[in-house]
Amino acid sequence: MLIRAEYEKRDELKYISHLELMNTFRRTFRRAKLPVKYSQGYNPHIIFSMSQPLPVGMVGYSEYFDLELKEKLSFNLMKNEINKFLPEGLNVFEIVEISDKDKSLQAIANTARYEYEMSFKNDKSNSAKMISDFLNEDEIEITRYRRKKDDRMIDLAPMIYDGQVVEDNIWEFTISTGSSGNVRPQEVIRALKLKTDGEVKEIPLVNIKRIGLYVRRDGKLFKPIHREVLKKEVSED
Amino acid sequence: MNVREKISDRLIEVTNPERYIGNEYNIIKKEWQEDSIKVLTAFPDTYEIGMSHLGLKIIYHLLNKEDNIICERTFSPWPDFENLLREENLPIFSLESGRSVDEFDILAFTLQYEMSYTNILTILDLAGLEFYSSNRKESDPLVIGGGSIVSNVEPVAKFFDLIFIGEAENYIVDIINKHHELDNKGLEKREILKKLSRIPGVYVPSLYNVEYHESGHIKNIEPVNDEVKANVTRQLVTDLDKAFYPEKFLVPYMEIIHDRATVEVSRGCTKGCRFCSAGITYRPVRERSKETLLKQIDNILKNTGYEEISLTSLSTIDHTEVKELVEELTEKYEDDKISVSLSSLRVDKFSVELAKEVQKVRKTGLTFAPEAGTARLRNVINKGVSEENLYEAVEAAFNEGWSTVKLYFMIGLPTEEQADLKGIVDLVNNVLNKGKEIRKNTNKRMKPIRINVSISTFIPKASTPFQWEPMVNKDKLQEKIRFLRSNLNKKGINLSWNEEDLSLLESIFSRGDRRLADVLISAWKKGSRFDGWGDFLDFERWLEAFRENNIDPDFYLRRRDLDETLPWDHINMGLNPKFLEKEYKKALNDSPTSDCRFSDCKGCNICFNLDVDLDIIGDDYNVNKS
Ligand code: SF4
Repeated sequence: MLIRAEYEKRDELKYISHLELMNTFRRTFRRAKLPVKYSQGYNPHIIFSMSQPLPVGMVGYSEYFDLELKEKLSFNLMKNEINKFLPEGLNVFEIVEISDKDKSLQAIANTARYEYEMSFKNDKSNSAKMISDFLNEDEIEITRYRRKKDDRMIDLAPMIYDGQVVEDNIWEFTISTGSSGNVRPQEVIRALKLKTDGEVKEIPLVNIKRIGLYVRRDGKLFKPIHREVLKKEVSED
Repeated sequence: MNVREKISDRLIEVTNPERYIGNEYNIIKKEWQEDSIKVLTAFPDTYEIGMSHLGLKIIYHLLNKEDNIICERTFSPWPDFENLLREENLPIFSLESGRSVDEFDILAFTLQYEMSYTNILTILDLAGLEFYSSNRKESDPLVIGGGSIVSNVEPVAKFFDLIFIGEAENYIVDIINKHHELDNKGLEKREILKKLSRIPGVYVPSLYNVEYHESGHIKNIEPVNDEVKANVTRQLVTDLDKAFYPEKFLVPYMEIIHDRATVEVSRGCTKGCRFCSAGITYRPVRERSKETLLKQIDNILKNTGYEEISLTSLSTIDHTEVKELVEELTEKYEDDKISVSLSSLRVDKFSVELAKEVQKVRKTGLTFAPEAGTARLRNVINKGVSEENLYEAVEAAFNEGWSTVKLYFMIGLPTEEQADLKGIVDLVNNVLNKGKEIRKNTNKRMKPIRINVSISTFIPKASTPFQWEPMVNKDKLQEKIRFLRSNLNKKGINLSWNEEDLSLLESIFSRGDRRLADVLISAWKKGSRFDGWGDFLDFERWLEAFRENNIDPDFYLRRRDLDETLPWDHINMGLNPKFLEKEYKKALNDSPTSDCRFSDCKGCNICFNLDVDLDIIGDDYNVNKS
């Protein structure tokens, strides 16, 4: 049986790396005695994959993993067992069954929503105007810094889908993520800084939270565990 | 007060922030009650090293088992994090509750490696404590220490109120309770320490005076008055099978050095290698039974979800039930893909067969330690390994499909000659050729043969038969390394060696005395941190620190006279006073001493003096077998 789980990674656990997170889950599955499946070869490991890595320093309130099991288990029981053995700061919300025809998380989750704790040079009174001006820009050019490669210019405009002011200094942006166009959450801030002549200041990574990962289809957003985006037929054995 | 909360957001700026977040699975966070005794363990190295340390694991769980004790942890901050704390004007804090040292009753250091001494100072300083115990306030926490290098702690003795000599399991809880009781009575620290010093194994450095001759040599080391015991005797666990062992290991996020379900199959080693300090400080051998080990392993795996078991000890392969244990483990956990690793191999075929058993699940390299290049020198150091043993072992390894083996050697050993270095070259070449030969004739697929040769520098250690020997000087050391480099410079051989300056520094402190405390402080003030980490070692800075204090480092590297008072003479390892000297003289005559667990008692007297038995679990079985 293949399952997909939605979970959160919060508080100080924002400081553990993707690899460390994977090991933490693997050991949790073992502690919970889940009937996991192993890969072949000299270095067998639990067959298990995760959604787009979070950068070190960022919490994620709606993250996902896929896991293969040797036998069927009740979702509730599984959820309780996993949560019982997870360290504080990790928590599974929901588990659904998926089929082996479903694409991997990293292949289908193409949109992410971030919450920013903004910082401004002056007063924060015109948040609403700043954000709507920004979203109406036809072109949002910024420099992308690339490791071991030359910097290059990219246009963020087509990859920023939405944005809103939640509170004066709490903003949200929904942006493209993954292989078909990736916006780094801090690039939005850099672009804002440029467009607002420095009114929006850069912020540390810890002031940004990933609050959702979605499959974007025809302009609509679905969670990767939503029936709409999963293959209908799930085998019963 | 939770200090960490104040700095949490800035952890993003430091390397490996997960070192400082705690919150591991199985972490013990006790309610902070007014009347509990609060102990903060401090490990003077990084988180990933400290968390791999068995002694720290044992103490943490042992103390927390007590209802009235809260035990938390802290580790050396990496320099970037130290700077951050200083910038924010914050003290070092515990991983459990984020509290600073002043909220604890006791600060307990693990003393494990000479080159982490400066890190002790960092922690003391970030705790707002004076370095010298004599300068600390009555209200400051008691600063204690213990660990594997207690055969000579004199260079750091003045920083500590109390040091425990030996294995602390049976005494530590009593010491802590007693301290609490006396402290509650309102006694002064000095009085409390005097009373605590009556407990076996408790060493209170301030209760011993050291006098020096004008030449710099030690005149005598004497207790301040005759109420104080003349020397401190090492304590140990007599029944290891019944001794406490933690089973709810903390599971770190960061990959630590030994990130696995480790059990201690035995403690102590009586092989009698004459350069080895652990061979004396953990004598004699005490084993845990297979049944106990199987039970412990099962519980640790359940509690942690670890995917690897490690059987550790000074010589795991010598455990009388090791074969049966390994066989049972590999069978029992094969379906769960849990692998077994052995912490050390003996140089023989049996080891390879056992390693093969273990490799059913996973593949790692094989390591052998002949230590010296010729039979003569191996007799001197009492490493009972013959050339045949080595060839048999590596041939077995190559035949089983291993293409890489690692060989350990030491240079700068007492009586070493050019022929001995040449011997290393020959051994390595022969091993390489045997590997190539086997690879050529096998029909199995085998990667090209690789021999990783690891050369370490001999350092004369306190309480070993070589404690009087001089340390090889830097020029000679470099010459030896040059010789090996030019003669082992070929395809298939990969040579690595210790940084010469690091070896010299370690040597100074391993036989150092109390005067070196000032040098440590000077070097620390100049910025010395994590000296053992190679990239941080700045030897020039150390030389300046010596000069500033008018101390000649060569004084500590020199040969010692047999009748000289040594800085650690008041610390009693339980040895027959003539044993080390006898062994030393035998060494100079190329004469070996066999392992007392497989032959007669060799008269070190530890079993009698410390009232302990050489505790070999499968003894009868072993005798029948051999
Ligand atoms: S007293 Fe004898 S048996 Fe015991 S460790 Fe020493 S030499 Fe071995």
